[in-house]
Amino acid sequence: MSGASVSDNKMSARYSLSEELRALLPQTKEGLKLDFSEKIEKSVVVLLHQARELFYEGKKNECLKTSEIIIDYSWEKLNTGTWKDVDKEWRRVYSYGCLLKALCVCLKTDDIPEAIRVCDMGLLMGASILGNILVKVVNVLQKHLQHGKRHSETRIEELSIKKTRSDSPMTPAVKLETAVPRLQCPSLEFFRKNYLIPQKPVILEGIANHWPCMKKWSLDYIQEIAGCRTVPVEVGSKYTDEEWSQSLMTVNEFISKYIVNEQNDIGYLAQHQLFDQIPELKEDICIPDYCCLGNGEEEEITINAWFGPAGTISPLHQDPQQNFLAQVLGRKYIQLYSPQESEHLYPHETQLLHNTSQVDVENPNLSKFPKFTEASYQSCILNPGQILFIPVKYWHYVRALDISFSVSFWWS
Amino acid sequence: MEGLPRPGWFGFGFRGFGQALGSERGLRGSLQGPEPLVVGGLGAGDPEKDAAAQVTQVRPSWSFTGFLTRDGRLVLSGSVNGQLPGCRDLLASEQHLLVLRTETEGSPAEMQAWAAAPELRGTPLWTRQILQRGDPPNPALLPLAPEPGWYVRPMQPFSQPLCPDLKARQLVYTWGTGRLGQLGHGALEAELVPRPVEALLGLAMAQVAAGGWHSLCVSEAGDLYIWGWNESGQLALPSRTIAEREKTVAGASGLSSCSPEAKKPATDGDGDLAQFIAIQPFPALLDLPSGSEVIKASCGSRHTAVVTRDGELYTWGWGKYGQLGHKNTASLDQPQRVDYFTDNLLHVEAVICGPWNTYVYAVKGKD
Repeated sequence: MSGASVSDNKMSARYSLSEELRALLPQTKEGLKLDFSEKIEKSVVVLLHQARELFYEGKKNECLKTSEIIIDYSWEKLNTGTWKDVDKEWRRVYSYGCLLKALCVCLKTDDIPEAIRVCDMGLLMGASILGNILVKVVNVLQKHLQHGKRHSETRIEELSIKKTRSDSPMTPAVKLETAVPRLQCPSLEFFRKNYLIPQKPVILEGIANHWPCMKKWSLDYIQEIAGCRTVPVEVGSKYTDEEWSQSLMTVNEFISKYIVNEQNDIGYLAQHQLFDQIPELKEDICIPDYCCLGNGEEEEITINAWFGPAGTISPLHQDPQQNFLAQVLGRKYIQLYSPQESEHLYPHETQLLHNTSQVDVENPNLSKFPKFTEASYQSCILNPGQILFIPVKYWHYVRALDISFSVSFWWS
Repeated sequence: MEGLPRPGWFGFGFRGFGQALGSERGLRGSLQGPEPLVVGGLGAGDPEKDAAAQVTQVRPSWSFTGFLTRDGRLVLSGSVNGQLPGCRDLLASEQHLLVLRTETEGSPAEMQAWAAAPELRGTPLWTRQILQRGDPPNPALLPLAPEPGWYVRPMQPFSQPLCPDLKARQLVYTWGTGRLGQLGHGALEAELVPRPVEALLGLAMAQVAAGGWHSLCVSEAGDLYIWGWNESGQLALPSRTIAEREKTVAGASGLSSCSPEAKKPATDGDGDLAQFIAIQPFPALLDLPSGSEVIKASCGSRHTAVVTRDGELYTWGWGKYGQLGHKNTASLDQPQRVDYFTDNLLHVEAVICGPWNTYVYAVKGKD
């Protein structure tokens, strides 16, 4: 074997990739179930059957074309009306389209990053199909991605997590009388009686500091695990700004554009269920025990990732569920207002933003919002290893003081 | 004029279900440039000649198209096939066909709803008689809808994602979901009840059209107003998606006075977000490069097509399935003339967009 050429090795690697991918799928086309409710138009079901047939017959080019049509048509359904009203069936159709396209792209052109990107589109906008097959496909694809390609070009070991934006204000002072109280490993009962029932914020210490993410996560590690994965990024300093928009890019692109380089724009990987998309990262975090004090099931807990440079701001807003905000990398400055202060906080009047205050907390326009000075608040700096309990509908304002990674748990 | 296509109907864009669009060559691949329409089953003669002579109206849905003929037939082509005699008009959607049947001996004019199925067999889902109340206009003679692009579910009380409507006094009313600015009222809220578009008050509107997420209207003076979502450049405003794509479309013939921002090459699209417009929540006046007046307009799902007084056709927006007719699949955020018609000395008179394709009616032009 010592005479094996580079191209021979490549050939065998390619062969095993297609083998591994085929092993994820049913042997015959009938095994690839295409069951949909009546909501899905017959002409689309016809296309799905055609695409499946073309795939199992090895007609990759034609399968690719048909998959594109399925993706484009279901994309239109996904963008009709509000997201929460989109029928889950259309999201499944979209996922099927992405699955077949990703497989064809990979088997036809070897463009593994593109195949991963297509799978990610299915994961971001679609719904689980065939036992969450897209996650399994991505795992196989990532393994075969050349090792160097998983990282971005820039090496960032030198980058200190405590790097602050050169133009941001100094770290805010937290006055003793407004400080959020801190507890060291309270019992479930103590937390429930003194904070959950009366609905008071508190910082829990000693709970999350032993989670694997606290030791393992760094920019390097995140790029290693997720660098080639496509994620949604919010661009623009606040989501209430006119120039705010959402973009899709790989984690590598996000880190190099918005974290490593001082850009004009702020980019924030915010409110994204990253751990459903990348289950490997989920193993590094834990669900806080205190969530069992709620009514819901553990599967119903929404876990979001919040990853961005120093200076990201979430304007003052309230959420409809209880929240544990766990800080992993960097520090965040947080200001909290009770729902009872709502009158002093001038929520927007539109449906879209009625849970968001019009006031810029650290730079309030007091002539426009005079009652804001009357609103009493608490504040804190949340450090790595700490968890902040934000009661349901409690108004909160968050600014990252450093490159920051937080994980939020929304529970009821 | 040997070799030039004869006047009649032309089509280009998506035909993934085999719906009649242009020639029958190329099976179901998209047509990226206009071809004379060929419809099988119209008559005993040459299908292309028959289409030109017989087809009076075209009603495209996504996976099929309905053709109305001079002798009152409805001919269906694509995922739905077959013919129905005695039809005045059709409202085609992926779920249902709403057909306006003419009065015959023994049965009155009526509206019928059929489920969209490969063949229209059996009986309709429901029928409604058209009762004439004496005074014109005779409802049986009104077109079912001024423009395709209306999304109506006959099974529910008019559940429409968006719907501009031309009414008496030539005001433009819109209602439906407004999340992407398609209602033209400025905010992004839904309207449950038709509400006049204030920005257009005082202008006499001749025509209105609605796409998937955008709306437009044409004034009697020939001005075009457009609003809604610009994600594929369908508003002819600078689109970030288009700028970021590698394929830039250099200015084509006829484009002289485009705004400088729109012509910026796709270097780093991240530089200045302010130049790109994703949502236009108020009507915006759109000037065509030649300064021509618009007489007809139609919207597909994500593209726009207009006919000028001079008989030219301009298209822009999403082009992936060839629906812009410029012999490629590029999307455009600037109006571009479809040169096929000028090159072949054809004078365009009408355009009707399906969701992903375009049908055009053109006659012999003057030299």
